[in-house]
Formats: sequence, structure tokens, C-alpha cells
Amino acid sequence: MLAAAFLFLLIFARFFYLQVIGGDRLRRLALDQWTREVPVVAARGLITDRNGAVLAENRTAYSVFVRPNAVKEKQRTAAVLSQLLGEDRAALYERISSSRVSELTVARHVGRELVLALEEQDLPGVYYAEDGVRVYPRGEMLSRVIGFTSVDNVGLTGLEKYYDGYLAGTDGEIAYFTDLVGAEVGGGATYVPAEDGLTLELTIDGEIQAVAEAAMQALYLEYSPVTAQVIVLDPQTFEVLAMAEAPSYDLNDVPRDDSALLNALSRNNLVSDIYEPGSTFKIVTAAANIEEYFRGNPAAFSPQHVFDGSRTRTVDGTTIRCWSDHKNGKHAGQTLAEALNNSCNPCFTDIALALGTETFYEYLSAFGFGKGTGIDFSGEAQGMLLPEGAVRLCDLARIGFGQTVAVTAVQLACAAASAVNGGSYMRPRLVRRLLSSDGRIEEEFPSVLVGRTVSERTSRLLAQLLEGVVANGSGSRAYIEGYKVAGKTGTAQKFENGALAQGKYVSSFLGFFPSDDPRYLALVIVDEPVGAYYGSVVAAPGARGSFEGIIKVKGIGPVE
Amino acid sequence: MNRPKSACAAVKRARPLLRRSAGAVVLPVLVLLLAAFGVLMVYSASCYVAKTQYGDAFFFMKKQLAGFFLGAAAMAVFSFVPYRKLLRFKWAVLAASLVLLALVFVPGLGVENYGATRWIGLGPVTVQPSEFAKYGFALFAAAYAAEDPARMQRFSGMLPVLGAGTAICVLILLEPNMSVTMCVGLLMLSMLFLSGVKVRHFLIILVPVVLAVPVLIALEPYRLQRLYAFLDPWQSPQGEGYQLIQSLYALGNGGWFGVGLFRSVQKYRYLPFAESDFILAVIGEEFGFVGVVSLFFVFGLVIWFGVRTAARCKDLFGFLLAAGITAVYAIQVILNALVVSGCVPPTGLPLPLISAGNTSLVVTMASMGVLCNISRGGVGFRAEKKRT
Repeated sequence: MLAAAFLFLLIFARFFYLQVIGGDRLRRLALDQWTREVPVVAARGLITDRNGAVLAENRTAYSVFVRPNAVKEKQRTAAVLSQLLGEDRAALYERISSSRVSELTVARHVGRELVLALEEQDLPGVYYAEDGVRVYPRGEMLSRVIGFTSVDNVGLTGLEKYYDGYLAGTDGEIAYFTDLVGAEVGGGATYVPAEDGLTLELTIDGEIQAVAEAAMQALYLEYSPVTAQVIVLDPQTFEVLAMAEAPSYDLNDVPRDDSALLNALSRNNLVSDIYEPGSTFKIVTAAANIEEYFRGNPAAFSPQHVFDGSRTRTVDGTTIRCWSDHKNGKHAGQTLAEALNNSCNPCFTDIALALGTETFYEYLSAFGFGKGTGIDFSGEAQGMLLPEGAVRLCDLARIGFGQTVAVTAVQLACAAASAVNGGSYMRPRLVRRLLSSDGRIEEEFPSVLVGRTVSERTSRLLAQLLEGVVANGSGSRAYIEGYKVAGKTGTAQKFENGALAQGKYVSSFLGFFPSDDPRYLALVIVDEPVGAYYGSVVAAPGARGSFEGIIKVKGIGPVE
Repeated sequence: MNRPKSACAAVKRARPLLRRSAGAVVLPVLVLLLAAFGVLMVYSASCYVAKTQYGDAFFFMKKQLAGFFLGAAAMAVFSFVPYRKLLRFKWAVLAASLVLLALVFVPGLGVENYGATRWIGLGPVTVQPSEFAKYGFALFAAAYAAEDPARMQRFSGMLPVLGAGTAICVLILLEPNMSVTMCVGLLMLSMLFLSGVKVRHFLIILVPVVLAVPVLIALEPYRLQRLYAFLDPWQSPQGEGYQLIQSLYALGNGGWFGVGLFRSVQKYRYLPFAESDFILAVIGEEFGFVGVVSLFFVFGLVIWFGVRTAARCKDLFGFLLAAGITAVYAIQVILNALVVSGCVPPTGLPLPLISAGNTSLVVTMASMGVLCNISRGGVGFRAEKKRT
């Protein structure tokens, strides 16, 4: 009797420990096995331009899935599903009745009508969950920048990929109580709401993007290049206003089956590709010379200095030639202004050699060459710049006019922007801020000053000289009466497999306006134009087209 | 437990009628209440599985209800059969127990379930002989010792009891059914102790039994696995530890007051044997700690009545029989609670009067009828009539 009483007390103590003290812990552990979850998919964040125009949004659609263990009438379920989804009934029945997985997805991205029809049938074990389909109202606009998502709405390329963490949001779930094998047992469901993704508000201006795309399309049609690209930057803030590239593709109809084509079309070459810039690089060389001259470096050339008129320079035993033959008084008696107008190579060789490797490389580094700009985009290339210790004089001489160096478009645009904006080098940006779905500002990305390049005085003189290039020199095809357009042309032969590729050129033009207070800066790159190939002929009109478009859509008046 | 002689002396005192009726009225009422509660809980624990597997939520409940009526009838009959008449059936009952246990191994008759052959199938009815054998042994041991109390003092004299118990244990062990073997083993020790066996002789049997336990465990690998699972069920939550973990989940979910009748979550196939060996876990889930304590209060009352009946009995046979019946009941209740709460390794033992299983229910209720009769001084139906 005593033993029995003792054992009863022991049992009570044990049950008290399990039920009252350990109850919560055990219940938490058990909760995991009692429920099956249906996801509540978070709505993916929108992508808008800086004015709120929607570039990417979602269309409500549904996924339908089946938990075979919870299906009560397998034949009827298969029949109803096959009729609604237009699938083979026998195959569907086979899947439902023989599957070993606990959950089968039978349809994705189906419309609301189908789900309503399904709900009417009230089939146990058949569930549906909202799952948005990404749609791009502007189709081809900004396609290489925005990028696209997988069928599961995971960002695969472009901003969709780079900002996926913000766009995706956090899925919620509805948890149903089920038995051991997943059959629903009633007793209600718990609902954890989804947290929708954030809206990306881009720095891109949709109107400017549209005119830039039109200008590139025109170039593409005229010269049949591999691509025609332009980046439009606000040189004061380094906000990217447009990134246009022809050909583009429709984001709503991604050629997912043709991976080579898809790779080519979805690549944002302005950020990911490097090229030999050629003469547009002379902006950087000129900026370095003027800044050094103002600082009192005796090696730098004064703006009045008249360069040697010879066509060639011999450095380290190699001969460097101007693209022009210098006959009949061409390229004779040039100051820096005329050297820029004529894009005369030997003059810039003289500058690079005069400043010397150490000084010139200080400027190349300050202007951001040989390293990424830090733009908010995946896969930015760093360009190619010979390490300072490995540079020979013949290399330095060529770097002076944009050879033996490779840059990305965004790199060169940023360098030029800082050269003409008073010397501020900032981190370029594609996204201004993140907004919640109800429009609250969640995060802003302000301008970040990376470093200083040149003084205000240098910037103004350089801009003036570059305005002269458009007014009187090789950039004349970018001239717009009354708008102080400034710029520099570039024509470079392409290298393929380490050798110059005959007849393959990259024609470019880097322009900005108004020259005394630059607001818009554009770098146009035409890769392998057919027919004409000089930057002055091929690319400069593209910049003018873009600028004319900007003037029109922004309603900018001419200056006297 | 009290010594038999002082107990018999105590019962010689005069008893008021009212107190006498406690054994005659309260005990059957308690037993009927427990069994009825069992039917309800069998329904609650099994309705989902019954519905999904047999298409009838009441499948197990109906069987249990049949057992309830059969058991009630058996209890009524035995409470009016003067228990002293059972004395002469001692060899017959022992023989029947052994034969039934042996029949389990006859091909075509034995029914195998979960890797053990513990049932005899007679058409739709299955009987579990070990449930019968527990009481059969109690009756035999009580009768054998009561016939000639002096012989229990001799080693050779107590050998038949020891032999019968051992034979039953071996047969049950061969099924195999470790827990019922342990139950009968404990019962045998209790009966020997109560019959006044000398401590010296007692130790001679106790020591080998204690030594046999590890050997028995080592013989069947699954017992060793269960032992590991018991020590740390979370080591193999999907394997050996599964049963115990599910039982603990059910108890934990119950908390203080439980989730309410019919609202167990663990019965949705998570907890195996929810309606039989682990019905206490479902009770703990639906009624909480308070419910479990209340239920054990009733169990305690039944056991207390049994002990009191034994203590007040005038003759040695009645004393030993009442003590034996009470011991069988108490051992099962305690072992089951220890199993369900993870204090001893999981074994297949019913919670008497509650768990699904008709053999156990009917035999237990019948034994309670015997206990009732003992408490009323062993009078039969006619004697009772005369008195009123």
C-alpha cells in the first residue's frame, strides 16, 4: 500500500513536470508536426522611374497544388483538375495517386476565374496560393537594366537581381492543422501575413530614357552595329538618367529558350563591357594638364602653348602617329584648344610624357580608372589599366590619347562628369530610394562623394575647350544652336584576340550641356558600325539626338 | 502490506452495515464509471483513425461498448458467486491459462500483430490469453497457499506456485510480451510474499529474477533499442523514440486543464495505439494534469477498496485472492502511467478498465466482481436474498 502510494506520488510529479512545467516547450515542438503550410506569397516590389512611372509590376495569378495525402476522391479530383487545366486526366490521376512527395504543383500563373471554378468544386487536398506574374508595362524600355525574374519571381539579371532582397519581400503562410500524413482535420488555420517587397524608385527618367532609346534605335538602323549604347548621367549628382541600348528585347517575352541570344540581349554592356576609349579619353589627359598647370607644375603646358606640329613622336624606339597625315597645314601650330578640336594624338602624348607616369597615374586613379565605380548593378567590369610599376614610356604615351587602356562606359562617363562639374567624383546610382507599398520612404540613397579630381577653375576651362570642339571642331555634328553643347569624339579600333581587328571600330562621343553648368552628360558608344566609323560622324549625331530629345521633353529654353 | 494474521484479526471487529456496503456498492459503481469513461475515451482517441481506416468513427467504440456490457454482466455474476467456490477450480483455471497461452502458438489460431503473437483468433473475436492468465495465476496462488498455509514455509511447498508463475511467464515471454511478463512476475512475487514465504526462500527466487532481466533484454534486440529510445527519445524521433515523443507531446499539449474532450490533436494518427496502450496520453491531452490526477484519484480509490477488502477478510484464501486481484490492477495502472510518461521503456500494457481491448476489460471487471463478493463476506445470491 505504501509502495503504491509512493508510486502514485512519483507519477503525479512526473505528469506535473511534463504537463505543467514542460507543456509549453513540448507544445512548441509538436506544433511543427501538426500543421502544413500554404504560402502567402509576398507581392514583389514595383520598379518605377524617378517620376513614379511604373516600369515593372505584378499581375495577380495563382498556383494550384495538390497534397495527395489530403485528397479524398482521387478520381474526381483528377477529373476536375484535368478539365480545368486542360491536362491529361490519366496522367494527372497517376501523379496524384502514386506520388511520394507531400505536395505537387499542378499549375502556375493561372487566372482568377480558374481558381474560382476550382473553389466551387470544393476538392479537399487541392490548394491554391496567390503568386504574382511579373509584368513590364513598357515592354522593351530599360530592358537590359531592369532585367527579369525566374518563374518563381526570383530576380535573375539586372536590377531585379541586384535588388532582389528588397523587391522580394517576405512570404507569409496559412497553417492548416492536419493529421500525420497531411490530411486536413479542421480546427482552423493560422494566418501569417506576407510582407510585400519594396518599390524601387530609379534615378532613371523615363522621358529621357525614351528619347535616348529612340536615338540609339536610329543609330542602330543606320549603321547596323552590334549595339548602340548611351548612358545619360546627371554630372552634378551622378544619378543615371538613362541607360539605353539597341537592340533591346521585350521583358514580357524573354527568349528563355535561346540562351546565347538571351545572354547577349540581357547584358548591360554600359556597365559590364570594357572597350578601348580612344580620343574621348583625351578629356582626362587635358583635365590633368590644366589642373597641373594651374597648380604651377612647370612640366604642364599652358593653354597658350603651341604643340610641335610633327605627325609622329618616337618613344622608347616606337613611333606614334597621328590619325591625320598633317599635310597641307593640317594640325599645325595647335594650342590645347586646337589639339582637342582636331583630336591630334601627338599633343596628348606630349602631355602624358611631360606629366610623367607618377603624376599622370595620380589623375587616372582619382578619375576612377582601373577600379569599379561602385554603381548599384551586378557584374560591373573594372576596366584595364597597366599597373603603375609596369608602365613603359611608350605605354604612357598611348594612354594619353586613350589607347593601351580599357574602360567601361560608366567609368568614362563618371570621369568626364567629375572633370567638368568642378571636380567632384561621386558614386553613380541607378536607384534613388526604396518605398514601402503604401508609399512611405524606407531608405534613401544619397550622393556619396568618392573623391576630388580637379578644381572648379580647371573644370570651367576644360568645359569651354570642349564646347569649342562641338562649335568648331570634330564634334560639330553634336552642335545645337543656343544650348552650349560641349563634347569630344572618339574612334578606336577594336582588339580581338590580342590583335587589332581590321575594319572593326568603336565610335563614341562624350558630350554634355550646358557647358558652363553641366546638367546632362551623355556617352554614346556605337560598337562596330557598318559604313562610316568616325565618332564624329557616327556617334556625335546620336548624342545630339539624345540632347534634342531632352531639351524637348524637359522644355529647356535656349540661352542667348 | 499488512501481515495476514494481524489483518485477519482486524476483520473480526464488528462492522457497521453502512461501511460494509462501501465494498458492495461503491466499488461496482466506481468500476462501471471507469469502464464507461473508458468507452468514451476509446471513442475520442480512435474516432479519427476508425473513420479513415474502417469508415466508421464508432468502430473501436462499439467493440469497447460490447466489452463494457459483457464485463458488467461478468462483474454482476461474480459478485454473487461465493468466492470460496472458486477455490476448487484452482487447477482447472491454471490449466486453462496455460492451455490458452499455448494455443497462441498454434498456427491458424494465433493472431500476429506488430511482430508479436499475443492473441487467439476465433472468427471475428480475438482473445488475449495473457489477460486471463494474470488472474488465473492469482486465483491459483491464493488457493494453493490457503489450502495449507504451513507448506508455504517450506521451499518445496512453495515450488508449485513458483513453477506455475514461471511457466506462465515463460509462455508470455515467448509471444513475446515483456511488459505482461513483468506484470505476472511482480504478481508472483507479491503472492509469494503475502503467503508468508520465508525471506530466505524469497531471496532465492528474487535474485535470479533480477539477474534475468538484463539477459531477457539482451535476447531481443528490439528491447535494447527501446531502452535506448527511452533514455533519449530525441535521438531517433522518427524511429524508436517516436512513440514516446508523441506521448510526451500529447501530455505537454494538455497542460493544466487539457484541450477539452474530443479535441486531442495527437489522435490524428500522430500517437500510435492512442486508444489502447497510450490512452492515458490522450486523456492527459484532453483533460490536462488536473484530469490525470482526478483519474488516478479514482484508481486510488479502487485500489484502496481492494486493499481494505483484503485486510478485512476473515480467511486466508479471500485475503490472498483480494490482494492478488488488487495487485494485478495496481501493477498495471502504475506501469502504464510510467510507460506513458516515459519513466520506464515503452511496453504494451493496457490501462485497465480504460484502454481498448475486450479481454482485458471483461476479465478485469469480472475480477472486480470477485473482489466485491469478498468484501461482502463471500455470500452468494441466495444468502443475500435471505438477509434482506
